[in-house]
Amino acid sequence: MFFGVGAYTPLLFYQLWGLPPVAGVPAGMLVSLCLALAIGMPTFRLRGHYFSMATIAVAELIRIFVGTWELVGAAIGLQGPAVGRAWWDLMFRSELPYYYIFLAVLAVVLYTTFEVERSRFGYYLRAINAGERAARSLGVPVRATKLKALMLSALFTSVAGSLYSIKTGFVDPESGFGILVSVQMVIVAALGGAGTLFGPLIGALILVPLQTATNTWFGGGGSGLTYILYGGIIVLLARFEPGGMHEWWQRVAPRLMRRWHAA
Amino acid sequence: MLLSAHNISKAFGSFLAVRDADLTVAEGEIIGLIGPNGAGKSTFFNCLAGDTAPTTGRVLFDGIDVTRSSAEAHARAGIGRTFQVPATFEDTTVLENVMVGAFLRHHHRGAARETALRIIEMTGLARQTAQRARSLGTPGRKRLEIARVLATEPRLMLLDEALAGLTPTELQQAIALVRRIHELGVTLVIVEHIMEVIMTLAQRVLVFNQGHVHGKPHEIVANEMVIEAYLGRGHRRRGETP
Repeated sequence: MFFGVGAYTPLLFYQLWGLPPVAGVPAGMLVSLCLALAIGMPTFRLRGHYFSMATIAVAELIRIFVGTWELVGAAIGLQGPAVGRAWWDLMFRSELPYYYIFLAVLAVVLYTTFEVERSRFGYYLRAINAGERAARSLGVPVRATKLKALMLSALFTSVAGSLYSIKTGFVDPESGFGILVSVQMVIVAALGGAGTLFGPLIGALILVPLQTATNTWFGGGGSGLTYILYGGIIVLLARFEPGGMHEWWQRVAPRLMRRWHAA
Repeated sequence: MLLSAHNISKAFGSFLAVRDADLTVAEGEIIGLIGPNGAGKSTFFNCLAGDTAPTTGRVLFDGIDVTRSSAEAHARAGIGRTFQVPATFEDTTVLENVMVGAFLRHHHRGAARETALRIIEMTGLARQTAQRARSLGTPGRKRLEIARVLATEPRLMLLDEALAGLTPTELQQAIALVRRIHELGVTLVIVEHIMEVIMTLAQRVLVFNQGHVHGKPHEIVANEMVIEAYLGRGHRRRGETP
């Protein structure tokens, strides 16, 4: 849902006031932060699957609501400027400028994650993940830490949504708030290795080309195959490699090194 | 008194796990808590540590009412606890485990790391610093739990069977470690089934059974009710025949 908020806000700024979409990015971040607070406060009382179910339910509610709200284009969605009026509309003929913008944002996100990982906040997050009760007994403020994590992830996801809508110049309820968007993000993290710095990057490196390939092979007639592909990946990960590729590599790499040295 | 718990009762539905338990602990004391399985020692312990709120009664720590405070607030106030089944953070290293505790008083990574390394050295885990908690055996994980709590710089430590399951040599090392912690000025409440630990370390003992019996260790081992319910007749015979 934070992706959707981030995607809608820049185009809403353009539609309502004719402002360059990029001006809506900070507003999207702010709305996402407020939404994270509003959702996090009551739902953190829930644990495990119940928390996930509650957040999926909220995302679905927002999707349905946005789909009937005229101000944000209801089921049709919103469009950005058809032709760039100036450079700050970020409408480029070539893909290259987008590549560099996305790369810069990725660098900022990776650096922030790296710093978080080494900080007290990062240690607390890992402790909560390993055992909430033990973490509490060591003075870890569990609810506040979880809320901070949700807010931080809301910020990042909102920026990702904004970049998506600015680049494509279009967003509708399905591409902004659809369940496939959330599932895709979870699978990217789980496939590469959730809770690691480079895990999601590895996940994206595998999943995105795979998705492009299936789209090319099956065309529009096989659009439902994406769901089957995601379902298959979830089943395989849960059964064989819950830690993702990152953990698999950490296990396999020393063995390969030993064999290589022996040879 | 550093800790006073009065009329503590804890009910789970119609089941009364702890009935009217009292405990006062002076600064610098070592108190032993014994009793048969299911007598409510761990539940009482959880009430003292803020893990669960008692149904009735009050817990005062350094004069402040902490009865309804969270476990986090207990840790911040200076009450640390270990768990009966070690609850170490399995996939993180020994150093990272201890640093989580150290971060309570030291917000900067460098200071927390320095404190953690000092405590790891003191608790005899220096050689395992970079190992994952998962790779340690039971004695190592119990030590790690103690180290982690120690890193929070507690005034009162609640040890829940922290010395159970150790070999005789490991037990002697663990007793020496508890003594060192006590010398640092930490007050201790120890739940333990091993009478050797209680007799060696505790200055006073509280027995949990149908009623509660307080006393010095040598009085406790001579108490009829305690012998019947907990220590067994064999203990009296050994005690009577030198």
